[in-house]
Amino acid sequence: MLDVATPLNSLLVAELEVGKHFYWEIGNFKVHGQVFLTSWFVIALLVIASLLATRNLQRVPSGMQNFMEYALEFVRDLAKNQIGEKEYRPWVPFVGTLFLFIFVSNWSGALLPWHLIQIPEGELAAPTNDINTTVALALLTSLAYFYAGLSKLGLGYFAKYAEPTPVLVPLKILEDFTKPLSLSFRLFGNILADELVVGVLVLLVPLFVPLPVMALGLFTSAIQALIFATLAAAYIGEAMEDEHHEE
Amino acid sequence: MLVDTILLAAEVAEEVEAGGGLFDFDATLPMMALQFVILILVLNAIFYKPLGRAIDEREDYVRNTEKEARDRLTRSEELAEKYERELGETRVKARDTIAKARAEATKIANQKVAEAQQEAVKERESAQAEIDRERQEALASLEGQVDDLSRQILEKLVGRELVS
Repeated sequence: MLDVATPLNSLLVAELEVGKHFYWEIGNFKVHGQVFLTSWFVIALLVIASLLATRNLQRVPSGMQNFMEYALEFVRDLAKNQIGEKEYRPWVPFVGTLFLFIFVSNWSGALLPWHLIQIPEGELAAPTNDINTTVALALLTSLAYFYAGLSKLGLGYFAKYAEPTPVLVPLKILEDFTKPLSLSFRLFGNILADELVVGVLVLLVPLFVPLPVMALGLFTSAIQALIFATLAAAYIGEAMEDEHHEE
Repeated sequence: MLVDTILLAAEVAEEVEAGGGLFDFDATLPMMALQFVILILVLNAIFYKPLGRAIDEREDYVRNTEKEARDRLTRSEELAEKYERELGETRVKARDTIAKARAEATKIANQKVAEAQQEAVKERESAQAEIDRERQEALASLEGQVDDLSRQILEKLVGRELVS
């Protein structure tokens, strides 16, 4: 379709490529190379920040340690609020990594001019811009809350499906499918939509006008990361809730 | 350009048909999941564990130090109270001692004064007695002299023979 576009279009930086992927072939499998490239960047960023923060641990933190401690306290509070004081500690790495990965991914997509780096096909964007990433994260969340429920309550976890009344069993089973679906599509949709809106606006008016939308995109990105991590923690906490003991 | 934008939706639909598209699930999904799990493990080792421990240790340290400080404060307050009490007791004791000493001194002084007065009285009395005695003696000797003199007068007047 873009071939139809006038040469004028190629003079401009702004160009929209949706649904095109930079395929890598690994054995018989195809993967989206652009997603991995940017996700490696995000992972490297996280790892380097962590290494810098923990390189020289001090009782009185400063600089990077202080910043990363702030981040850690933030995700700890998030997990604590959703899962509860007693059980939250083992889940901090999962929930925290969800938040940090999504947050850094989204902001890298919103702040870094990925599109300027040319790759053979498709374009670089936030890793969360790809449905595969968000579904992977959502499925991991499902696995996590199943694991949490089963390890805490054993098979009694499934007994909770019939509470408060057995009429709700089909709904509860349905919920197990809608949870990852809504998680992944919410994140995917928001990030992609934001990128598209910015792209379209840049296409129409390349100067200044897209800025407010970009700022809004930063806000949305942060909120989406927070929502994903909070919901994941809430699902885990809900799965571990022991109704017999709490009443 | 505007045409491009309008045609965007159509383009997307076309791409999906062509095998790419927005909802193109492939091996990216499991690999991304695997990568994410590895990221969790790595971050757990280099971020959550060490930094979490640092935070917990700091919390412990702060709590302990605070507790210690509070203990010390209580102890120092107790000590201060004790000193205050001891000071009060000592002050009372000192006042007692002073009062006692003053009373004793007064007593001694009174006693001394009384003694001195007594002595003075005694001395006056003895002096009086001496005076009395000496007057008596003087009177007695005067009486003797009276006898003598009257005798001599008599002798002179009537002659020695008559007198004896």
